[in-house]
Amino acid sequence: MSTPEPLMQIMGLRVEVRGVPILRGVDMEFERGKVYAVLGPNASGKSTLAKTVMGLPEYEVKGGDILFEGDSILDKSITERARMGIAYAFQTPPTIPGVTLEEFICRICPEYLCRTSEDYLMAEQCTCRKELYDDFDRLGIGNLAGRDLNDGFSGGEMKRSELFQVLSMRPKIMFLDEPDSGLDYDSLKIVGRELRAIREEKSTTMVVISHHRYILEFLEVDKVYILQNGRVVYTGDMSVIPELEEKGYERFLAETAATT
Amino acid sequence: MADSDDIKERARRALDRPSVFGDDLDLSEYRVEETEERRLDVKELTDEDRMLLEEVGFDVGQRSVAGSFMQFDNESVLADVMIKQEGLEVLPTRRALEKYDWLEDYLWRAVPVDADKYTALSELHGYDGYFIRAEEGAKIEMPVQTCLVIKKGRSIQNVHNIVIAEQGAELHIVTGCATPSHVERALHLGISEFYVKRDARLTFTMVHKWNEAVDVRPRTGVMVDTNGVYVSSYAILSPVKSLQTYPKVHLVGRNARADLYTVVYGTGTSKYDVGGLLSLEARGTRGKVISRTIATDQSQIIARGELQGRVNGVRARLECNGLLLSDSAGIRAVPILDASAEGVELSHEATVGKVGADQLNYLMSRGLTEDEATSLIVRGFMHLKAPDLPPRLQKAIDDAVRMTLEKGL
Ligand SMILES: Nc1ncnc2c1ncn2[C@@H]1O[C@H](COP(=O)(O)OP(=O)(O)OP(=O)(O)O)[C@@H](O)[C@H]1O
Ligand SMILES: [Mg+2]
Repeated sequence: MSTPEPLMQIMGLRVEVRGVPILRGVDMEFERGKVYAVLGPNASGKSTLAKTVMGLPEYEVKGGDILFEGDSILDKSITERARMGIAYAFQTPPTIPGVTLEEFICRICPEYLCRTSEDYLMAEQCTCRKELYDDFDRLGIGNLAGRDLNDGFSGGEMKRSELFQVLSMRPKIMFLDEPDSGLDYDSLKIVGRELRAIREEKSTTMVVISHHRYILEFLEVDKVYILQNGRVVYTGDMSVIPELEEKGYERFLAETAATT
Repeated sequence: MADSDDIKERARRALDRPSVFGDDLDLSEYRVEETEERRLDVKELTDEDRMLLEEVGFDVGQRSVAGSFMQFDNESVLADVMIKQEGLEVLPTRRALEKYDWLEDYLWRAVPVDADKYTALSELHGYDGYFIRAEEGAKIEMPVQTCLVIKKGRSIQNVHNIVIAEQGAELHIVTGCATPSHVERALHLGISEFYVKRDARLTFTMVHKWNEAVDVRPRTGVMVDTNGVYVSSYAILSPVKSLQTYPKVHLVGRNARADLYTVVYGTGTSKYDVGGLLSLEARGTRGKVISRTIATDQSQIIARGELQGRVNGVRARLECNGLLLSDSAGIRAVPILDASAEGVELSHEATVGKVGADQLNYLMSRGLTEDEATSLIVRGFMHLKAPDLPPRLQKAIDDAVRMTLEKGL
């Protein structure tokens, strides 16, 4: 029987940061249009996984492979990976002074046409200003449009700005690093609705790193991976989430280890 | 007021006095030409001149300016004030001195004639330049544009400018200095004395385009009276042989304010020694001295800034931020805070570094190439928000920066 080839396959991935092993042989598969949760205790290697997929240079691959649409991407640059359709919403993005969020969104979104015109676009030349501002408003961050990228953004604003940027790239797969942390109830609903709509379109594979039950249940994730100390220690469906929440990682993982 | 013989004598005694900062130039290597005044219609400009002017933001069509002044080498050329603006006067300095006796009192008051050999030479060899004055209460909203062009090699362009914003007046000056790339070896000597009277506002925006053979020694002094506001934005984005400038702003009246912004994009083997000094001499005075410098190729930049707090209840801030884009370039930031009274609040931030890897990776993860990401970061870094600058002038600077980066990176 032939199953369709997964969009991304991570095979035996071992990663070091400055000589310290962080990922110790990770296997995961992500199919087109599906939603995944990557869970695990703090410092288990979740962000490291996403950053390695994105190709950030301090994350050194020591073994294994990452296949995207069947081919290894290990020798691809960050830019190439982004242009192939891989996106990562940062957990803590850096500030870029002097570059406004609106002009940056215009710069990276293939649909806001000014992207193609030149390197130095100006938001006021954007041919899709209305759409742009509608999108800003839908995410409830219209106030950030003219602000410098990540400069003084609140925790919740940062999350929505990251999400907006990543969505603007129209990626094939996106790794969302705690898109729900620091959000108030209303913002959480906004983000949830946004992601839910994407799920329904099935055009983008979503890998959600999270510590909270709400967003995962709202999105009805298809599959859950739990990382611990740089290894996948549990693979299953979302029915484990309530139990996980109740017991915490330590007890949950100890018990599952005992029963298998 | 010192009489003119006394001034001449002081100048003569200073003729060999090197400047405190910058390379000491041998002035005998240059010709000093007679200044002459000639009127020229902008329509007579050659295409080359036109392009040169436009590159430094000069609006040759003069559609939205209050007045214009151009000087080629030492020939001053006055374009008429196109939009008749009540309360504005633009004249070549020498003619203004003939017209107004009282103008003598403003000569060499904000800049000492014996500061160094450059000020001395300027006095002794005869100069021209522009005189711009906004009369009491006149709000000149459109900018007055001036342009100083050097076209002759081995020569000294000797300019003495006097700007007066009378009580309650508002005046915006945008000035571009330019040299075509074929000119070899020249010296631009620019004395500028600015007087901002009580409740007046003066903004001064400079976009310069020199070349590798030109040495530039502006000497600028500013006096700001009670409640007066002075804002200068200085952008030097082209190569130069050497540039050394250190404007001194004296806040002499209560609650006077001054903000000095400098942007340098260093290329080639150019040497830039830039910055400014703010002297807070009256209660409630405040200000900022801010510079953003980028060093590429083998350029060398010194970014200075000095705040002098002389009385109680003054406040000022200094920022020198440098970005190094080449291993053979150099940036030195020299911030000085000098307080000699209780209750003076002075602060500074100085940074020099290269483009942050975190920033680069972040932008690349959004699909930008490394070059695109670098130029976006650099452009953002060079973007100075001067809240007091009219949007049109802020845009003139932004456009100049954008043009430079498009070509440079
Ligand atoms: N750039 C880095 N430099 C040094 N150590 C790093 C770096 N990136 C990750 N690490 C280390 O790798 C381990 C895993 O970090 P990672 O950020 O992947 O954890 P995480 O699972 O995302 O945790 P959290 O839930 O707290 O976000 C941690 O011990 C962390 O300190
Ligand atoms: Mg993390």
